Amino acid sequence: MGSFMRRATGTLIIPVGVFAVVWALAAIDGASLFSSSDSLMILARTTAVTMLTTMALAINLNSGRFDFSLGAMALASSTIGATIAINVGGGFPAMAAVTLAAGALLGAFSGLLYVTLRISPLVSSLGVTLLFEGLAFTITGGGNISFTQYPELVAFGKNLTALVIVIVLALVGVYTVFDRSRFGSDYRALITGQHAAVSAGVKEKGNAIATYAVSGGLMGVVGLIQASGKGLIEAGSINFSTIGIMFTAFLPMFVGGYIGRYSNDKLGYLLGALSMSVIGLGYSALRLTSAQQSLITAFLLVAFLIFLSNEERAKHWWRRARLGNRPPSGPAAPPRETAGVGASA
Amino acid sequence: MKITRKMAFGTAAGVAAALSLAACSSSAGTTDGSSAGATDAAAADPVKMCVLVADVTSSEALSFRDYYTDYIAGNFPVEFVYSDELADAEAEKTAMEGFIANNCEAVISFASADRPTQLDMAEDAGIYYAVATGALSEEEYETFKDYEYYVGAIGPDAMTEYQAGYDMVKHFTAEGDTEFGIFGGGVPYYLEMHIYRAAGMLAALAEDPTTSYGGATEMGDILGKIYQDGTIKIADFESDVYTLSGYLETWDFDAAWQASMADMIAAGPDAILAVGTGNAILGAAVDGTGIQIGDIDAYTEDNLVAMENGTLGFLAGKFTSINGPIFAATLSAVQGEPYRTAEGSAFALSQGYWEATTAEEFQEIVDADNVDAPVYDVDALSPFVASGASYDEFADFVSKYTFADLVG
Repeated sequence: MGSFMRRATGTLIIPVGVFAVVWALAAIDGASLFSSSDSLMILARTTAVTMLTTMALAINLNSGRFDFSLGAMALASSTIGATIAINVGGGFPAMAAVTLAAGALLGAFSGLLYVTLRISPLVSSLGVTLLFEGLAFTITGGGNISFTQYPELVAFGKNLTALVIVIVLALVGVYTVFDRSRFGSDYRALITGQHAAVSAGVKEKGNAIATYAVSGGLMGVVGLIQASGKGLIEAGSINFSTIGIMFTAFLPMFVGGYIGRYSNDKLGYLLGALSMSVIGLGYSALRLTSAQQSLITAFLLVAFLIFLSNEERAKHWWRRARLGNRPPSGPAAPPRETAGVGASA
Repeated sequence: MKITRKMAFGTAAGVAAALSLAACSSSAGTTDGSSAGATDAAAADPVKMCVLVADVTSSEALSFRDYYTDYIAGNFPVEFVYSDELADAEAEKTAMEGFIANNCEAVISFASADRPTQLDMAEDAGIYYAVATGALSEEEYETFKDYEYYVGAIGPDAMTEYQAGYDMVKHFTAEGDTEFGIFGGGVPYYLEMHIYRAAGMLAALAEDPTTSYGGATEMGDILGKIYQDGTIKIADFESDVYTLSGYLETWDFDAAWQASMADMIAAGPDAILAVGTGNAILGAAVDGTGIQIGDIDAYTEDNLVAMENGTLGFLAGKFTSINGPIFAATLSAVQGEPYRTAEGSAFALSQGYWEATTAEEFQEIVDADNVDAPVYDVDALSPFVASGASYDEFADFVSKYTFADLVG
């Protein structure tokens, strides 16, 4: 029971704490986090985009593969999907299917390039970023794709139920693939001990390419949600202008990693993304300017990293404070109780 | 030498990357006299004219580019070389260095992050430099007007931008609209044209005696407050007649941005006044709500559809061939006949927007000026390309830019 409470507390303390603080700040200001009928839909949409991006980033970064091309994959796959849906037909189902498949193929190509060339994944992903941005640019001739004339393509991005289903499916899917499958076992074995895993017969190249393909598929969904939600694809984005989306995933990824100690990191990515989306709604409710928003987001990231880097020291201070405040009652505190404090902190 | 699989993949990737980048980089904008419809003049030894661009994706930017690379290059002895999209001053400087190294004879600049550096580099290199669809600030003009290789600037000056915002509000208030939202775009980035357009909107509303913005009712005071705040604060808007029910800025598309947009639309204003890209950014969101958008953008197919279905109520837009005169002046300078004012300085001439409030007006404009049949066609421009025209004649030609002037 104690273990369950500890796990539940560790899992929920950040999202619940964030919601409570942001809700209270908005209430003090006389504002509401859910001021419009679209607020829940926006919460679901931004949570979905951030969670999927975080997963796409984390599944490669956990293996030491830094991938700058996530945004470019979302851009190129949605450009391909939208172009085919508009020019060939098939409506949103065609756009969704093609975008998802294109994302997975682009991801697999990125992985293939990495394992074949054997250059640093960071350098490889920079080249791939330019390549995918150039691909989207070439397809549209440098122009944006607007869905003004195709309202059937934007309905998905405004549908709360559809977005919630995407979140659930993605969470279950990624959890199953990476935590409950043979592929996932190999993936984790390669993270913890590459040489031993390879010696045991794990195919490291195939695993890496497949991981890139999953990452690409996830970014395909991101591209689909963004295109459908905005009603616009900025397909002329070149010169690394798509890299920015990756940085929105760092804080949720660190939060997810922290939560993962108490439950599961995939669930942590969802809760981290949800926390960031709630903070976003708070910015709007408090009518903060874009400059103030950027400043606070940067501060939160730095503060959380400082906390993670000094967690042991913070625990030590917390233990000392608790022991120091305990009233003297006879002999020294029993060692068992001290150990218990340390374990639960 | 043994060709390994690694080498083959590396070579293939390199070729693919080169082909892809070639499609989107400077060479993409290169065209020469062999284009369709080329004339004898175009087939002559072409002048290498390089173009700095900060935007390569908008419909407006694409139509400007098509006008130069398809129409102008096919009818004048000129070859255009375009830069990539230039995000900042450093990128502009790098592009200028590339242009100079590649023997460009003139630069037409659509990029404004650091014009003084561009001007200095062009002057030092001895290549002509012109500003398109923009203007130098008064201070900059005084500094650079006597540079030998500075051709001049043609485009909407700050007052033209202000007037566009003012006209937008006057259109909607004349329709009886009283509740508005504002999309401030690049106001927090201190984008001058967006600030002046927003100031024009607020000043038009402030002509009502009960209306003020932070106590300000005049252009200068409103501009001062926007510059001081770096944003527009709807809480500071006071009026017994009009309501500002929402404000949105930047193009972040994150949770906060989307929530602010939803709040603005949920408030149900009569119209959303956009300083730019209004229909592209907000069109899908307001579709079916009955809210109209006022926009300062370009005459694109998407905007036409939006005006036909009632989403777009007002558009002030640059017309496709608006950059014809600055091209003529630049080519004239390269060919030995630069236009100089009576004081011997580079020129600073203003051109404004064409405005449409109905789909019929919109269609008329598109029919009258497009890449295939521009209002600034070869017959209109040729008399001003090293043909002995005076500065006054050129200035008079540029000043007659309205739809009525050019189309009748």
